[in-house]
Amino acid sequence: MRAPYFCNTAAHSVNRRAFLGTSLGAAAALTPLGFASAAAAKTLQKSQKRVCVIYLSGGASQLETWDPKPNTDNGGPFRSIPTSVPGTHISELLPLSAKQAHRLAIVRGVNTKENSHSPGRTIMLTGRRPDPAIQYPHLGAVSAKLLGSESDTLPGHISILPNAEGASNKSDAAFLGPKFAAILLGDGKPPANLLRPKTLTEEADLQREALRKKLTDRFARSRRSAATEAYSESFDQADQIFRQADLFDVAKEPAKTSDRYGKHDFARHLLLARRLLEAGVTYVKVSHSNYDTHHENFDFHLEQMGEFDRPFTAFLDDLQDRGMLESTLVVVMAEFGRTPKINDRYGRDHWGTAWSVALAGCGIKGGAVVGKTNANGTAVTDREVNGGHLFHTYLRAVGLDPKKNFYPNDRPVPIADPAAAAIDEILA
Amino acid sequence: MPRYLLAALCAFGSISSSHAGDSLHDRIDGLIAAGHPNFAKQAAPLADDSEFLRRACLDLRGSIPTARETRAFLADPASDKREKLIDSLLAAPEYARRMTHHFDVLLNERRKDVKVLRADWEKYLTHSFTANRPFDLFVREILSADGVDNEKRAPAKFFLDRDFEANIVTRDIARLFLGRNLQCAQCHDHPTITDYKQEHYFGIYAFLSRTFLFPKANLPTAVLAEKADGDTNFMSVFDKTKTQKTTTPKMPGGKPIAEPKAEKGKEYTIAPTKPTVRPVPAFSRRALLAMTLTADRNFARASVNRFWAFMMGRGLIHPLDLDHGENPPSHPELLDILTDEFIAHKYDVKWLIRELALTETYQRSSVVPTGLETVPEDRYLVAALKPLSPEQMAYAIVQASGQADADRTEAGAKAEGLTIRKTLPISAVFAGPAGEPEDSSTATLDQTLFLKFGPVMRDMLAKRPNSLVDRLSKQKDARAVAEELFLSVLTRKPSAEEITDVADALKAKGDPEAIHRELVWSLMASGEFRFNH
Repeated sequence: MRAPYFCNTAAHSVNRRAFLGTSLGAAAALTPLGFASAAAAKTLQKSQKRVCVIYLSGGASQLETWDPKPNTDNGGPFRSIPTSVPGTHISELLPLSAKQAHRLAIVRGVNTKENSHSPGRTIMLTGRRPDPAIQYPHLGAVSAKLLGSESDTLPGHISILPNAEGASNKSDAAFLGPKFAAILLGDGKPPANLLRPKTLTEEADLQREALRKKLTDRFARSRRSAATEAYSESFDQADQIFRQADLFDVAKEPAKTSDRYGKHDFARHLLLARRLLEAGVTYVKVSHSNYDTHHENFDFHLEQMGEFDRPFTAFLDDLQDRGMLESTLVVVMAEFGRTPKINDRYGRDHWGTAWSVALAGCGIKGGAVVGKTNANGTAVTDREVNGGHLFHTYLRAVGLDPKKNFYPNDRPVPIADPAAAAIDEILA
Repeated sequence: MPRYLLAALCAFGSISSSHAGDSLHDRIDGLIAAGHPNFAKQAAPLADDSEFLRRACLDLRGSIPTARETRAFLADPASDKREKLIDSLLAAPEYARRMTHHFDVLLNERRKDVKVLRADWEKYLTHSFTANRPFDLFVREILSADGVDNEKRAPAKFFLDRDFEANIVTRDIARLFLGRNLQCAQCHDHPTITDYKQEHYFGIYAFLSRTFLFPKANLPTAVLAEKADGDTNFMSVFDKTKTQKTTTPKMPGGKPIAEPKAEKGKEYTIAPTKPTVRPVPAFSRRALLAMTLTADRNFARASVNRFWAFMMGRGLIHPLDLDHGENPPSHPELLDILTDEFIAHKYDVKWLIRELALTETYQRSSVVPTGLETVPEDRYLVAALKPLSPEQMAYAIVQASGQADADRTEAGAKAEGLTIRKTLPISAVFAGPAGEPEDSSTATLDQTLFLKFGPVMRDMLAKRPNSLVDRLSKQKDARAVAEELFLSVLTRKPSAEEITDVADALKAKGDPEAIHRELVWSLMASGEFRFNH
């Protein structure tokens, strides 16, 4: 429903923007699903860039993944294995990922100078050190804002967690506004309250929506209120997501596909991520837990990487098969790595000094390895980078300019840390 | 006539529409009317009784009226019923609860408890507003609290739950109490606002920089302690010469405070001879902060502006934290008079709110008159819409749905606790992120799905003795259903068309109780409910 009284005034767009948190883009003519036409929708999807972050929560060990140091005092019991890239070896815990190395870029010189979970997480997800004066938006909010479009019917920022207990999305969009905050999917289940309750029939739902709309429209007209209109639109948006509720149901995937990923939680979650990305969700983060291996580091990584290896490679193959890999940036990260020194409980502790991140997909040079650590992994010896450099790299990979600014309250805030720059060596 | 000329003429008194003998609320209306040509013709009429009743209850009680109250108010023939309503709302205990919610979110910004328990803090706020503590004394208490005395620890929450991070405290003091967002002035003079200088930022910072958390910053029982020395130096990141400047404590634009030079050896009342001793300086900069700030005219001005926005939906200076020369108030003379009067009335909050509530400006309708092409944002021709705060939304929902009424029927005197508990999951969904000024004007997917399908809202629609769904089931016809429904949820009588809508809905096949439930939902989910109009 269009209400002409306010359409072209600055106050209207500000009000709308404030209420929906949307950017000031030109809106295509709206059909019920928000695309100008079904064909346009398909083209939109093909050219749309997406981001998938696999977050190894707790801090996965670089020595048991991307930068092994076998036969050294810190190396631990596992060996390294050759990969599909001659000269590049990774941990034997990742045999399938090793075969995909030609698609991966590995950054081994990460030094975020931070050994605590929460600040480490902030650094890796916002590309900035925590700052008491300003909260920076997470990569998910930035991606949803800059890569998404007004006509998107699905939320642009989704976070799949093992469980959503105590998780909050309240601060991840920062000044970009709540519209870009993550929708949290605990255990990969659909958003809370997405499904119509049993006590409400479809007919009753339609009728009550009609009355709600009627009342709201009448009210909005008499007050000439763009904010009220925007409030009503939020129900339309929720409805659009409701109508695509099946997207959140991984059980709808053909058995052949889900078998490739596996049946365990992380496998299902990553499969769900592929479903959502394929449907046009701009950013999905899938968290795998728990890598905070202060004790029994080796047993846990054996298990965890076992859970990671197969779904990760199935995911990359799946993206490739669907023609999505070249438009989807995939990042495997954590809040930090783990200490080379093995403690007295066979564990490794927090370590932001010399660790690794792996990337694949859109804009990434497959097979590239950048950065080196010394023989026993205690320091970066070549091409040291931090969370800021990585953040620049993600943005450049998907075709964005990290040197641009956001303008919250008309104040310029650089999208990425101006003190850093992209890691050109891994950009295609 | 350009606004600045009008203001200049007003200053000379030649066409001032405000006379010192009139009540403040009349003077306010006079100045508002003088602020726009043809005001009387263009402005909306006064709100009707329904609009006014709902607005006043939301603003002063934090919830909507009951259906019974609404019927009584609409039927009341007394010519002074609006004034009586305002007085009864201000005298009720819910006024203090409403102000507690408002000032808690304003001052504490939904931060998790770190060093002061929420229960103690809320009790402190409620007590302050029940007693109608003068606002300057209230702020003084907050800014002079050190958390040492357990009985008086609650007001220290402002400092302690920010971990006394001096930059955050400086920024928030300037923003909340002086109407100036000096954040950008931490590192350099503000790049676009010439009135906001780095020395203003550090003038406030200097009051705080000698203070630290004692004995250890991360202890939940930590208190504030202060050294007797330490200078505040600063440098602009834009200054290529890297000149270091220094400042002693002062308010923006104010004189540096007088600091006695202590005799050597007499700098402390309690000297930090050991790390376990909490130092007390002979002269405390932080103690002076409370007195100096609350005596500054900018404090009165910023406070009055915030109370004006609290009632009217928009500050005379807008935004509330950008008071500077190139952002003049929409009605400068009015702001000056309000500031003077607030000071003269010893920062009496209830008095101020009462005067604002009695104005025609406050009581104006939000319905845009058909002749009015564009509605300027700052002329008060039409009342502004204010989105309900998370707490208002929660309390309005439990009242509209009649769950509050059902609680009263079920539990009598013990009802309040039950009802308050019901509001918590609702306000949690609508609450903004911690540590940020709250902006209630956005709708997120979680909130919308919560309203549409969430179990909490389904529970609100439950039929319990005296809940709205229960009362609807007892109405004799569609008209009676429509009336009870609209009076309970939207505080007004339904129009003829709306009665027809309800009648049509009731004709649908299916369980009547289910139809009643969804009728209640439709009204609670409407824009009209979501906004304070």
